[in-house]
Amino acid sequence: MLRLEDYEKIIEKCSHCSYCQSTCPSYLVEQSESSVAKNRLLIIKEMLMHENLPFTPRAQEILDDCLLCTNCTQTCSSKVPIDDIIIATRIKIGQKGVGGIKQFVMGKMLTQRGLTGALGKAGSVAQKIGIATKEIPQLASKSFDKMYSGTYTPAGTVKKRVAYFVGCGTNFIFPDTGEAVVKVLNHNGIEVIIPKGQVCCGIPALAEGDLEGARSMVETNIKLFAGLDVDAIITDCTSCGMMFKEKAAKCLSNDDPLQEKIATVTAKIWEVTDYLQNQGLEVPPGRLDITWSYHVPCHRGWSPTVKDAPRQLLGQIPDAELREFDIPEQCCGGAGTYFMEHREVAEKVRALRLQDINNTVSDVILTQCPVCRFYIGFQVMDREVTHPIKILAQAYGL
Amino acid sequence: MQGLVKDLATLLGPTQILSQPEEMLAYANDATHYFKSRIPDAVVLPHTTEEVAKVMKYAFEKEIPVTPRGAGSGLAGGCTPVHGGIVMDLKRLNQIVEIDGSNMTARVEGGVVLKKFQDTVEKRKLFYPPDPQSGCVCTIGGNVATRAGGPRGVKYGTTGNYVTGLEVVLPDGSIITPGGKFVKQSVGYDITHLMTGSEGTLGVITGVNLRLLPLPEADRTVIVVCETLEQAAEIVAEIIARGAVPAMLEFLIKLAITIMNQYFFPPLPTDGEGYLFMFFDGTEAQVEYEAKLVSEICHDMKAKEVRLIEDPRAAATYWTARANVYPLIQTIFERANSEDITVPRNKLPDLVRAVQEIAAAEEVMIGLAGHAGDGNMHPSILFPQVTPEALEKSEIAIDKLIRTGLDMGGTISGEHGIGIHKSKYLAWELGDIQIELMKRIKQAFDPKGIMNPGKIWMEDGDKHA
Ligand SMILES: Cc1cc2nc3c(=O)[nH]c(=O)nc-3n(C[C@H](O)[C@H](O)[C@H](O)COP(=O)(O)OP(=O)(O)OC[C@H]3O[C@@H](n4cnc5c(N)ncnc54)[C@H](O)[C@@H]3O)c2cc1C
Ligand code: SF4
Ligand code: SF4
Repeated sequence: MLRLEDYEKIIEKCSHCSYCQSTCPSYLVEQSESSVAKNRLLIIKEMLMHENLPFTPRAQEILDDCLLCTNCTQTCSSKVPIDDIIIATRIKIGQKGVGGIKQFVMGKMLTQRGLTGALGKAGSVAQKIGIATKEIPQLASKSFDKMYSGTYTPAGTVKKRVAYFVGCGTNFIFPDTGEAVVKVLNHNGIEVIIPKGQVCCGIPALAEGDLEGARSMVETNIKLFAGLDVDAIITDCTSCGMMFKEKAAKCLSNDDPLQEKIATVTAKIWEVTDYLQNQGLEVPPGRLDITWSYHVPCHRGWSPTVKDAPRQLLGQIPDAELREFDIPEQCCGGAGTYFMEHREVAEKVRALRLQDINNTVSDVILTQCPVCRFYIGFQVMDREVTHPIKILAQAYGL
Repeated sequence: MQGLVKDLATLLGPTQILSQPEEMLAYANDATHYFKSRIPDAVVLPHTTEEVAKVMKYAFEKEIPVTPRGAGSGLAGGCTPVHGGIVMDLKRLNQIVEIDGSNMTARVEGGVVLKKFQDTVEKRKLFYPPDPQSGCVCTIGGNVATRAGGPRGVKYGTTGNYVTGLEVVLPDGSIITPGGKFVKQSVGYDITHLMTGSEGTLGVITGVNLRLLPLPEADRTVIVVCETLEQAAEIVAEIIARGAVPAMLEFLIKLAITIMNQYFFPPLPTDGEGYLFMFFDGTEAQVEYEAKLVSEICHDMKAKEVRLIEDPRAAATYWTARANVYPLIQTIFERANSEDITVPRNKLPDLVRAVQEIAAAEEVMIGLAGHAGDGNMHPSILFPQVTPEALEKSEIAIDKLIRTGLDMGGTISGEHGIGIHKSKYLAWELGDIQIELMKRIKQAFDPKGIMNPGKIWMEDGDKHA
């Protein structure tokens, strides 16, 4: 239930091995052990759980500076669910009345998905209340849900049926990803159902400690998807996938009647390239003379295969050549809405990422996260940054 | 201590000093956090040797203790600031200064992370073998200061075998550069290797010259399942006696395998008691031959199963899991105290038997995992619950373990160092004369006793753990 009290025992499992230091982006920029997952746990333990020390503004700042990228949790060999503990802390602090504005901006507004331009509004509200950044993603002229909804049946035999959860990134900013998802799935004999009434997956709200907001979004989405007679539920966004797979159940109490429905959705959720790779392509892709690099999104820990899926899938395109980054998995700093409120840290994290990007020559950068796509894209002028499914669509000539 | 923070901020600039309580928490101990920890009065984060020297000069004048710190991944409490004062975080000295392929040498700053360095040299087909399992975070300065080693010790030795020169800031702030880029030297006392293993008590290591090897072209991983622990230990002794030289030869018990199995598809069988993970490297012909020879030895000695792992990705998974054994163990026990006994390799079967006897007699759980190939075992006392009674029993068991290891002609620490947690046993191994000599050496380097005080030997009446 993401209640801080529930983590009192598990937080003791931190063995102080410091392994998390090797992947924590906030450590990378601060280069001080005070800004590493291990110390965030110590602050939570000493200042909020046991209250041995007073909780100070600087401690709050150290916790706020966490990008919730989950790299520490993935690295932690003692399996401490660090990001959950930090979310639980934010929920607890939120209850004390901190972070209300942030909650309003990203949490409450995205629930009203029907409202075109929620994100645009969020951007302008963000600017008004001084958490501005010059870099706010441009909204698409027409959101994906205005163009696509209902059932899309492939021309030949229907091999599989999937439901498509359309995240906010695809819906408002990159509807091109959504189009490619539908076309590529159909091309491979997979029927796609896009239920009406979907809302934000809830991860931005949760990251702000807005449990109520996240829970209501989870409830809406789960009710919409759980009853569908489909083989799989697809998302093109790794963060939405993580929310469904790992976090949704934690937004409700263990004995909530909705848990059963959440479990059915959790069992079926796939990132689209991961699903296609797992199923095997029905139709071999055509030749595409392109070099591509792959920026692996941070929220990959929920599927053991999602980070290799684009490599294997696009590896089947004749002439398409992967040019690996030095560190394919290095965080870009965008982190949902983090880059708006923590501009300085985010830009430093990105600057480190850009060194690697600029040292790697390729025609296009691919990533399954819309935030990485625009946040890297703001600074990369020589290449397009896009979703791997779009390259597959291109190879199919779709 | 307000004056201290102010002075340091003037010396280095405010962004290189930490002093808030929420920042200090991170610097109070190392990976042995369950022992006594101590909040430092300030942390300094220098970028250069000159900045290190400035701080040392100041601390020397004011007689303030300074504790050097790499990644804080140590397993002996070495970077715990037992007397408070300044903790010096050296991770910002993170430049790989030179990789000289024609000389097969490299020069790094003291805070360079081991894995980053290894990845960098391997891209140039060069090889830096020392491999403490904490490589993703530990620093080369920390490795030198603890004389760290790892599974590859059996074939390639440990950090000390690769250090050819250092840059050291002495406690009074002066800078020396013992040794150098050359691979041999016969000029007076070998200060380079005196510093190696000095655990931050003689000076701050700011630069390291290292020897490199060519990257082996091929490798093989072999996993052996044994009926009993004794059988596993006897196989190790036999492999060494028959002249086979695996690059890694790791010993694990069933308990470790059951938790490591979450990494493996399909999982390893759990019907054996002892397990050996072996790695061979060299030319294709060489690894082929050695893997075959060792497989034959294992079959001859009636091992339950011998698995040759062909797929390099699968092999890598086995070794990743191996690197995570110690933290993984902590997920199921409330605590695991890892010891570092090393014995002559033909004594391994005796040691394994003795460990089981001690565990039974003292009613404690002792896990065994270690670099068996070089005789370095890490018996770990496993606490399902930490109670005063369990702690008392564990202390008796550890005393017995250490005594047993020493009686076999072994040592109390193969690679972790003494720090504070093994100081109790120092006299058992070295005797008073050697310890007195060491103290006089310390006095010569550090007349005011400010350099990582309270480490290696016990202070009168002190009981840190
Ligand atoms: C999960 C895990 C597995 C491990 N596996 C191994 C293993 O296989 N083999 C092994 O040998 N060790 C192992 N260790 C122990 C540890 O990683 C090593 O001792 C390592 O060398 C410590 O490096 P560090 O940078 O973390 O140093 P720290 O822990 O920060 O310091 C260790 C000691 O060195 C001193 N020191 C550090 N840097 C400097 C410097 N630049 N100049 C002077 N003194 C300095 C400190 O004062 C302290 O006394 C393991 C630890 C963990 C947590
Ligand atoms: S979630 Fe990311 S930023 Fe936060 S502590 Fe973990 S690794 Fe660091
Ligand atoms: S990796 Fe996990 S166990 Fe190790 S220090 Fe970080 S949080 Fe603690």
